[in-house]
Amino acid sequence: MTRVLTAVATLAIVASSFGLTSNVALGHERRAVGPYTFVVGWLNEPAYVNLLNSLDLTVTETSGGKAVEGLEKTLKADLTFGGSTTPQPLTLAARFGLPGKYSGYVMPTKTGDYTFHITGTVGTMNVDEKFESGPGRFGSIESTDPLQYPAKVVSSSDLAARLDQLQTLVIAGIVLGGLALLASAAGLVVRRR
Amino acid sequence: MRRTAVIVACVLSGAVLLGGAADAHANYVRSNPASDARLVKAPTEVRIEFSEPPDPKGSDIEVLDTAGKRHDKGDVRPSGDPNGLRVSLEPIADGGYTVAWTTTSAVDGHTTKGSFAFVVGNGPLPPPPPVPEVAPPPSALEIAGRALSYAGIALGLGTAFFVLFVAPTLTDPRRDSSLLGLAGALIVVGSVALMVDQGAKLPPRLGVMLGVRAFAGLVLATVAITPRLALMRPVGALAGGGVMTLGPLATFRPRRMIALAASIAAAMTATLVSHATALGSLKSMALDFVHVLSVSVWTGGVVALLWCVLVTRRDATAEDARALGQTVWRFSVTAMIATALLITAGVLQAFDRLVLIDDLYETPYGIALAVKIILVLVALAIGAFNLLRWGPRLRAGIRARMALVRDTVAETAIFIVIIVAASFLTAFAPPAQPSAAAYDQTQHVSGLRLEMLVASAGAGRNTYVLRVHQGLAPVGDAEKVAFRFTMVEHDMGEQELVATERASGEYVADGSPTGMYGTWHIQAIVRLTGREDVTTVFTLPVGAPTGGSTTSQVVTIGPYTAIVFTDPATPQSGAPITMFAVLIGKDGNPVTGKKLSATFSGPNGQPAIDAIEDAATLGPGRYKFPIAALDAGKWNIAITVGNEGSGPYSLDVSR
Repeated sequence: MTRVLTAVATLAIVASSFGLTSNVALGHERRAVGPYTFVVGWLNEPAYVNLLNSLDLTVTETSGGKAVEGLEKTLKADLTFGGSTTPQPLTLAARFGLPGKYSGYVMPTKTGDYTFHITGTVGTMNVDEKFESGPGRFGSIESTDPLQYPAKVVSSSDLAARLDQLQTLVIAGIVLGGLALLASAAGLVVRRR
Repeated sequence: MRRTAVIVACVLSGAVLLGGAADAHANYVRSNPASDARLVKAPTEVRIEFSEPPDPKGSDIEVLDTAGKRHDKGDVRPSGDPNGLRVSLEPIADGGYTVAWTTTSAVDGHTTKGSFAFVVGNGPLPPPPPVPEVAPPPSALEIAGRALSYAGIALGLGTAFFVLFVAPTLTDPRRDSSLLGLAGALIVVGSVALMVDQGAKLPPRLGVMLGVRAFAGLVLATVAITPRLALMRPVGALAGGGVMTLGPLATFRPRRMIALAASIAAAMTATLVSHATALGSLKSMALDFVHVLSVSVWTGGVVALLWCVLVTRRDATAEDARALGQTVWRFSVTAMIATALLITAGVLQAFDRLVLIDDLYETPYGIALAVKIILVLVALAIGAFNLLRWGPRLRAGIRARMALVRDTVAETAIFIVIIVAASFLTAFAPPAQPSAAAYDQTQHVSGLRLEMLVASAGAGRNTYVLRVHQGLAPVGDAEKVAFRFTMVEHDMGEQELVATERASGEYVADGSPTGMYGTWHIQAIVRLTGREDVTTVFTLPVGAPTGGSTTSQVVTIGPYTAIVFTDPATPQSGAPITMFAVLIGKDGNPVTGKKLSATFSGPNGQPAIDAIEDAATLGPGRYKFPIAALDAGKWNIAITVGNEGSGPYSLDVSR
């Protein structure tokens, strides 16, 4: 009896470890596309800005759950940030030892919503699907600010915003300085008269 | 001729500074049927409430079907609600309807337009009507009328104040008489121009105010041309608060007192037809009046100083120069006090009329205001220069009169430029506009103005509206607008509503994401093609309704206690209402599996309704009564639990 319990416990631990290491069920969007099921999300979730990440695409046959392989040759994927009109093409690659799973690496540099656009063919079926991050789908790219310790690192976008503010202040200072010079010159002219 | 030109320029400058005082616009606040309402029963009338009192004579409400056929009876009249109008409808069939309204403010006669839609039955809402020109700019005649009458007020008040309190002995009474006569004429002509501009749609209240203003102008003109009669002394004493003047001043002081009183009366009419009065805020009215008075004392005083003192007095001798310097100093002190009041009142008014500091460079109203502020500051700088440079010289007995005249003329030239800014200021409505929303916040993000309006501050189903503008131009055709809801106090996950564009730049979503009392963050995401998402977070406190009426009541039903409330919390006639009852037992636990019914007695017949129990959706012990529609009035509803008892619930349904 003890051996049986030990075996069950071992199986439970192994099964739960799959659950912990597999990201498929955590924050991925599952969608039926013809006879296939597409599961799309970030490979590493929660997904953080300025950290290497990847498209995590899984394609299976809806009936039977058989993994569909070889799609790195027939599918294309690109990534779009917000309303941008210049998507970033991703190099789709089959993941080693994981049939039906594909990756496309990218480093998101801004927080917010991203859209994976997958086009091409699966078998004889044309595919043109967009998967957008958001609640109930897969996670948006998040800031690392709350996680930074002990020192906060200023992000490049924050730095750019601060530089913009500084530029505005400098321009305002130059204008004020110019006005002060003009006023001084006018004062001198009046005084000489 | 040159002197006359200087006077005219100064007068116009006064008009400029006063020009921003009146901006009344009667804007849509709420209606029944509400905007985008889905009704199960055709309404018999449309009622609209505005932000300011409308004049029914100059207002119209058209109710059009999708084919453009009119279904109202054209009998627009006051609804009985504050600032409300109503129009009767012919019997209308199921379908979508657009309500196009035009209204004239009873305060200042400004016209505003707008439209909204509702649907009877299950059909679709009519397509969003094109966004109308909400507040057409005033006509050239109106601008001219305002400018002339404001100029007259400033000139009359400033001159009377100057000759009474700043330089009572130095001035020749004939010279201030000419200014007062001109002021009276300007006020009369300006008031008549405004009446002509309004024409037949002149609201009665505005007509009375303009009449009073014109009468004050006539008084000013009359005292200017009337010989200096001692008979006027009692009248002047009355106007001056009972102070009877004796001695050499007795010949002209009474006239000046009358002129001051008439000018103040005319200035009062400027405030009484202003946006401040239309809003019914005593604070705003007081600020507006102080603004008008202080501007008048300053600008009119500059004209009086120039015309009555600087061009007549000489500074050939040190004695003359010192006397002139004393007068200039007294006026400078007066002007400093007036400008301090002017700036204080103006800044406080700006807080009410601007939503964001960015409005100063993003909105037409703000740009005009900013230009006006900058030019006023330049004029103040010149005044300060006169005070610090030429004033001390004169007081030291050194000649400086001509330099003072030259700088005052320069100041006047700047005032003229301000006319343009003030003209625009009167043409545009201020960015701060009233709304009926329980939550209304605006943020400036990445060059966009994002205004979030939430219909109710209560928990449950709600309507979320995001207005997206660049400056005051609506930003339509967004690729996507979404709202993401997270609760601060508890981890309730994240929910998303995707909004649809109801009108250009106005995106609406309905749903129940904020179903629990507490603090909610609403992340608004605006996606525009070709640019990064614009996103910001609004913080929405959700709680029990405060200040207003609530439909939540505790009802004892046999052995049970029921908490009964409705959605919406302020039900309107003709629109669907959902009544909820949370049934609680003596042990404090929710009671499930009971048969609840509601029996109605009220303005007319309404069949009894059985409750729907849906624990999976509503939670245990919660029962829902879907009511198609109720007529306006007070309803007494008996809520029965099987054969175990019955309890009374009352509900007020507004028209």
